[in-house]
Amino acid sequence: MNLYAFAKSFGGQAAVTVPDLTLEAGTLYAVIGANGSGKSTFSRVIAGVLSPDGRRPVTEAGLRVGYLPQKSYGYRLSVLQNLLLASRDRDQAARLLEAVQLSHLAGKPAHRLSGGETARMALARLFMGQYDLVILDEPTASMDMESTMLTEQLTRQYVAETGCALLLVTHSLQQARRLADKALYFHKGQLLEQGPAKTVLYEPQHPETRQFLSFYGS
Amino acid sequence: MGSAVEQAVQLIASGDRELLNILSVTARMSLSSSLIALLLGVPLGLLLGACRFPGRGLLLVLNRTLMGVPPVVCGLIFYILFSGVGPLRHLHLLFTVEIMILAQVVLITPLLTSHMETYAAQIAGPVRETAKGLGLSRWKTFLLLLNESRYPIFSGYLLGFSRAIAEVGAVSMVGGAIAWKTNVMTTAIMQYTNRGNFSLGIALGLILLVLSLGMNLALSLLQRKVAS
Repeated sequence: MNLYAFAKSFGGQAAVTVPDLTLEAGTLYAVIGANGSGKSTFSRVIAGVLSPDGRRPVTEAGLRVGYLPQKSYGYRLSVLQNLLLASRDRDQAARLLEAVQLSHLAGKPAHRLSGGETARMALARLFMGQYDLVILDEPTASMDMESTMLTEQLTRQYVAETGCALLLVTHSLQQARRLADKALYFHKGQLLEQGPAKTVLYEPQHPETRQFLSFYGS
Repeated sequence: MGSAVEQAVQLIASGDRELLNILSVTARMSLSSSLIALLLGVPLGLLLGACRFPGRGLLLVLNRTLMGVPPVVCGLIFYILFSGVGPLRHLHLLFTVEIMILAQVVLITPLLTSHMETYAAQIAGPVRETAKGLGLSRWKTFLLLLNESRYPIFSGYLLGFSRAIAEVGAVSMVGGAIAWKTNVMTTAIMQYTNRGNFSLGIALGLILLVLSLGMNLALSLLQRKVAS
């Protein structure tokens, strides 16, 4: 699938500039970079939450995009009802609740969950849907190690089962190395390097990426 | 003073016909005006709080201006519009409960709009972003926003009703405080006190105070529920 080149500015200040991109189905992409490098803006524009400069479309028409915002939100419904928003498949909801270890909280109001529980519920809710492209913006930021492992496993499984392309925005280089097939590296709002995870996350070509890895990857 | 209070309690207990009529007109006016204001103010408030569109700033300024309009000025405008020389005289609404409701809707709707706008501005971002991420339709997103706002909607209604039941300036001007027709609690308290009939005034005052206490208790309970 193709993503078209775009730029996004805030108050005349360029936040991110992205060239044309081609994403492969069934592939997990790690989107990495330092804070303020434009990773989240990139993902929010592709998700349609932010409009790019010029308001031109950035995805192919009809492309189904699923998006998990950085800050998970539980609607004032039960956990189960939250999951059923994306699809009415109750069996699927039960399976996903079990996968994120929230079966015992299915009837609890979602806005009363803890931060980590809300994040897991939000991931399960997103995975109720079928998408061509899924974007997860730092899904494990508020999770403990066990929940993080659970989330990573579920994410991998979702990509394998649905064959979608998945963009995982993460500040954790270790997580990117554990999960990603390919990687995109952002620096100061520019997509500096992209390619197989083995190259970008271990032996990058660009000096800025090498510097980033030496700083965060040791 | 003591005997007036005693007489007031007797009037309430005996179900005095005039008192019941005043209460009935008050209830009809306050319930109707606050309900209409709710139906107008909630969607308008949600729209202003959750959406960005051309003219939004102007609408916000207009709403804030309307919030500050003194009730007597509102009453005066309605009086001029519907009086014998006014452009809407053919509707024959002056000194009816209907025009009292209309005047109160104009006074209360901006309050409810502002109440909902403030709340919607806080929650619209995450509600919309999450719904967009799930691929939900705009209509479903609006319904979710409405569901997220159910406690503020109810507390807004209580606020509107409290304002309606305690309002005196506009309703006395356009309703005329006609006995057995447009006399409501607040206008009746003024009328009977001016005539020296303190017992009926005190009886109505007591009922108003009890209602106000009930409203405030309900609001406090709601606020506690929202906070939890």
